[in-house]
Amino acid sequence: MNVSALLFWPVAALTVSGAIGAAFARNLVYAALALGACLAGVAGLYLFLQAEYVAVIQMIVYVGGILILILFGVMFSRDVLGTSSRPSLGGRFLAAAAGTAALASTVRLALLVPGLRGTGLPDVRSPVDSWIGQISTNSPFHLGSLLLDAWLVPFLVLGVLLTVVLVAALGLVRKDAA
Amino acid sequence: MDVFLQGPDRLLPYLLVAALLFSLGVVSVASRRNAVGYLMGIELMLNAANLDFVAYGRFRGPEPAAQSQVAALFVIALAAAEAAVALALVYAVFRNFRDVDLDEIRTLNGD
Repeated sequence: MNVSALLFWPVAALTVSGAIGAAFARNLVYAALALGACLAGVAGLYLFLQAEYVAVIQMIVYVGGILILILFGVMFSRDVLGTSSRPSLGGRFLAAAAGTAALASTVRLALLVPGLRGTGLPDVRSPVDSWIGQISTNSPFHLGSLLLDAWLVPFLVLGVLLTVVLVAALGLVRKDAA
Repeated sequence: MDVFLQGPDRLLPYLLVAALLFSLGVVSVASRRNAVGYLMGIELMLNAANLDFVAYGRFRGPEPAAQSQVAALFVIALAAAEAAVALALVYAVFRNFRDVDLDEIRTLNGD
């Protein structure tokens, strides 16, 4: 019996229930807050996956940045409470069909991964509890040296892209824009 | 019970959570009529893909699992850029139409 196993399932449940709220809540503010719970839960799952740096970035960029942007965007909606924006019956049928198809195909693909159900192949490379307190091999040092080595060109392209996006967003919200 | 206790140390739970996140994102994109709700669905799908990246890197990739995490960082950066442009578009649409309901904006629709 270890602590991480006890903590894992509540975090997973928080993630999934947050996603359910984000997808189904009629009030857009509630949906945005549920999305925040889901994003924080994903950050927790990154911690279980020994990806601490990604977890921190997830909290800073998603919960601290994108979620705030989305909450600002909610204010542009005339119908925040969702009283008049119920999807039509056809729209609901389409959404249910698309969601069921996506769920079925992703779960089927997940179950196709070799060695998932057999007990012979070890999934457990280094259990979480044996790793807590040790120096991780996934430290920002490794990530940074990868970024400036194998991923250098994508990294530079990403920098150019972010500059373009910054200018484009400013251009879109300019006062004399169309 | 075995899988239940070993939850964080096995691949399958992460894949199932990611599958649920992705399909809920699809439902959100298909059913929301509000542009911001639509954007939330896209963020859910991106997070599901990211979770799969990191989980596969941890359990199936080469030993320092940093490659998959770099990929996840790229996706996060691109998601931030996409959200900024999408919100700027929402603002531009709002300024022209006074609403962001995707079904009401049909100037180019011909009817």
